Amino acid sequence: MIVAEQKPLEEIRRMITPYNRVLILGCGTCMTVCDAGGEREVSFLHNALRLAQVKSGTGNHTFSEYTLKRQCDTEFLDLLAGRTYDLDAILSLGCGIGVQTIAERFPGLPALPGVNTSFMGVTKESGVWDERCAACGDCRLEETAGICPITRCTKGILNGPCAGTKNGKCEANQDMDCAWILIYKRLEQLQQLEKMRRYYPLRNFGTIPRPKRIVSKAVTAIGVNDG
Amino acid sequence: MDSAITDNNQGYQVDRTEKPSLNHSLMPPCQVACPLHMEIREYIDLVAQGRTMEALQVIRSGNPFPSICAYVCTHPCEDACRRSQIDKPIAIRASKRFALEFGGDRMIQAEAETTQQERVAIVGSGPAGMACAHYLRKLGYPVAIFEAHSELGGMLRVGIPQYRLPREVLDTEVQRLTQMGVEIMTNTRVVSLDLLFDMGYKAIFVTIGAHQSLRMGIEGEQSTGVIDGATFLREVNLGLKPSLGEKVAVVGGGNVAIDAARTALRLGADRVNVLYRRSRAEMPADHTEVEQALEEGVEIMFLVTPTRIERRNGRLSVTCIRMELGDADDSGRRQPIPVENSEFDEEFDTLIAAIGQVPQTPGDFRVGIGRGSTIEVDPVTLTTNRPGVFAGGDAVTGPATVVHALAAGKLAASRIDDYLRHRYPLTREETRGNLTGDLLPETVDMIRKVGRLEPPVLSPEARAVDFKPVELVYDWETATNEARRCLRCGVGAEILFQDKCATCLTCLRVCHYHVPYLDASGTIQIPVDQCQACGICVAECPAKAITLRKPYDRRHITEELDHIFKSAAESKLETLIIGFCCQYGLFGTGTLASLWRGAKAGVWVVPVLCMAKVEGDHLLRAFEMGAEGVFIAGCGEQCARENTEFWVRQRVEKVRKTLAQIGLEPERLQAFVPGAVDEDPAGELDKFVEKVGGFYLASLVTQEVKS
Repeated sequence: MIVAEQKPLEEIRRMITPYNRVLILGCGTCMTVCDAGGEREVSFLHNALRLAQVKSGTGNHTFSEYTLKRQCDTEFLDLLAGRTYDLDAILSLGCGIGVQTIAERFPGLPALPGVNTSFMGVTKESGVWDERCAACGDCRLEETAGICPITRCTKGILNGPCAGTKNGKCEANQDMDCAWILIYKRLEQLQQLEKMRRYYPLRNFGTIPRPKRIVSKAVTAIGVNDG
Repeated sequence: MDSAITDNNQGYQVDRTEKPSLNHSLMPPCQVACPLHMEIREYIDLVAQGRTMEALQVIRSGNPFPSICAYVCTHPCEDACRRSQIDKPIAIRASKRFALEFGGDRMIQAEAETTQQERVAIVGSGPAGMACAHYLRKLGYPVAIFEAHSELGGMLRVGIPQYRLPREVLDTEVQRLTQMGVEIMTNTRVVSLDLLFDMGYKAIFVTIGAHQSLRMGIEGEQSTGVIDGATFLREVNLGLKPSLGEKVAVVGGGNVAIDAARTALRLGADRVNVLYRRSRAEMPADHTEVEQALEEGVEIMFLVTPTRIERRNGRLSVTCIRMELGDADDSGRRQPIPVENSEFDEEFDTLIAAIGQVPQTPGDFRVGIGRGSTIEVDPVTLTTNRPGVFAGGDAVTGPATVVHALAAGKLAASRIDDYLRHRYPLTREETRGNLTGDLLPETVDMIRKVGRLEPPVLSPEARAVDFKPVELVYDWETATNEARRCLRCGVGAEILFQDKCATCLTCLRVCHYHVPYLDASGTIQIPVDQCQACGICVAECPAKAITLRKPYDRRHITEELDHIFKSAAESKLETLIIGFCCQYGLFGTGTLASLWRGAKAGVWVVPVLCMAKVEGDHLLRAFEMGAEGVFIAGCGEQCARENTEFWVRQRVEKVRKTLAQIGLEPERLQAFVPGAVDEDPAGELDKFVEKVGGFYLASLVTQEVKS
């Protein structure tokens, strides 16, 4: 799941300053799960912005709110088509993907990001999320016992642990587990410790071309949706 | 359609904002068990908030004579109460009595209008007859009751002792029947139904009760000094004082036997022995009644039955035999078997035989008689073999309870209505499902144990001397605390908007009772039979997909806020402080109840049913509307719920952070959770009000400077 964090209220208020009629648009998938932009957060932000306006005495905004099932597909955004004529901007509580999809679908309307899209991760417990995947495009989890050194090691090294590990913790953060110690322990449990002896050549992240595209259909029409 | 009766039942809507279509609540086990299907959960909840008048309204809408039930109901609801899986059932009957006494039941007036022509005769004025008369009058029929005794009430009058049902209570209900225009003919024994038809009655309801005592079938039963239970109680209740002598034996183990024994004690008998052929476990008498009888000094000899009575020198020599328990019989109780050569003699002055009663229907009624001399009726239409003749109550069921009789009378009224209006008898359509099933052990483990609070009773010494009512009524605090134990079965959370649910598992993670679970197909389920309706998942759901099955809280709070805003604007107060206060605790009936409706200058209370239902949105809205300070106050340690404080503090912290970003002092928002007894909630609140006042002044000064 994509994990994000709502932007500070000041930043959001600054962003919306030029626009009077703002739609706060929530996303019913990842952003709901990570408590950043589901229907409840949309409503909370709506109330907070109104309160801020009342208390500061500045601004002349009118807000509306709506939550789509997903912002990252234009078909869902089509549901908004009839509602945009009286809008000056859409404040999206979707991830960066959502904001861009809105921008594409409604070319004449500013799309503002209400959250900072942070990482891909898991819910550790209610209200706590941890990063798990860097979307590097070259998955080595088979070799590292299902624990990703790219995201979970502070240095992201492929041949760990480094000398900074102490009692299973990382030198950069005493509360954080050393990913390579975790990998070692799990390989031991799986009786695959020989994998620790292998040397993994350095990866050149610079060679991975951006933006990426995946095409799973067998026949593609050339020239459509290019770019 | 049984319009009036159905309306009567469902017409109650205390909460005007509630749309019935959104009410997905299930019928709780207590309501299912109640023959009258009273809205028990609703009135218990109102009692828990101290809203006795509304509770009374709910009670009155489901029961024609609740004041009688409040004293003598055998409360099948309590037997079905799921709280007994945790500790003990809710004291429903005693709570009802509290609501009646403190809600002003004495002031209730009854009225009815005659809209129909067909006259209906009711033979017998027991609870079934009275209930039938009540509902027929409500339906607009002219009704006449024929009663053989000098006063109305049937077994309520001649069977139940006064210490259990004070006669003023019965008289009041009879008075209301008269007010409704029921024609009452006492001292009138009906011997023939034909005569009634000749007199112009179009339908007859036969409810003559079961007054004929069964005989023991032993030698010497006819001796002087032997009397049957029903006759004994009737004589006492009609004002006679039979002389019993010093030592009295009562044979039997039912309610009549216990009533007779306790009555004998009150008439001055020195020793009263109950002889019962089985053991305590099989005794059909009400458990509390038995306890109270023992306290008063009644002795019960278990596994003993008389076999012969002989009158000797002005006393009775009773030969008894000891019994042992064999296998279970058809009724599920273990069958008593005489122990050989265990006979013994015991001397008594009087022997009261209370081993059961049967109806005695005059032959001229020409109605079909079935097993146990009861009148045979169709279970759906309540019709006998004669057209226009209906029957119900003990006369049909054999000796049963008051509430069963009331239900029979109510049903009869609607069936007689069907008959007179030439309608096919409709069985009532119940749109709600029943809540069934036990609580799972893991749910039970998480529910706070709160012992049952019994209503006070007179001391055994004080009560055994006369016929004053034994049971007293709760005080406010005890009643509300007892009612707060209710588990609110059937109003739990449901995922109302499945399409919104992101299956984020928040509900599963926040539930203290471990109720939500992920089913095999990966969908979140919140089983209604386990949910404790605390409302935490409702507020925490990031998709707002969950509601309680009676979802009025959210809207209720918003409406209440609007109302306060208007009132506060009119009163032009300088500082406005809004408190979201739990109505179950201090702010409902406790020390801060007076705060309700702005009794403290500037402080306005939004009543909430548990502070867990206050969401961040509500708090922000209160500030937006102009509140200088906002607080949430819970009921503290008396709370029947777990974990609410944690979640409230979470929400408060979140809103405080937002306030700080807006430039408001976070201290303007406070959560009070009165805990320890020595803490003074009023003092805490005063401090808060003072502080907020300070912020207000400071902001005024800043504005001055700016301008």
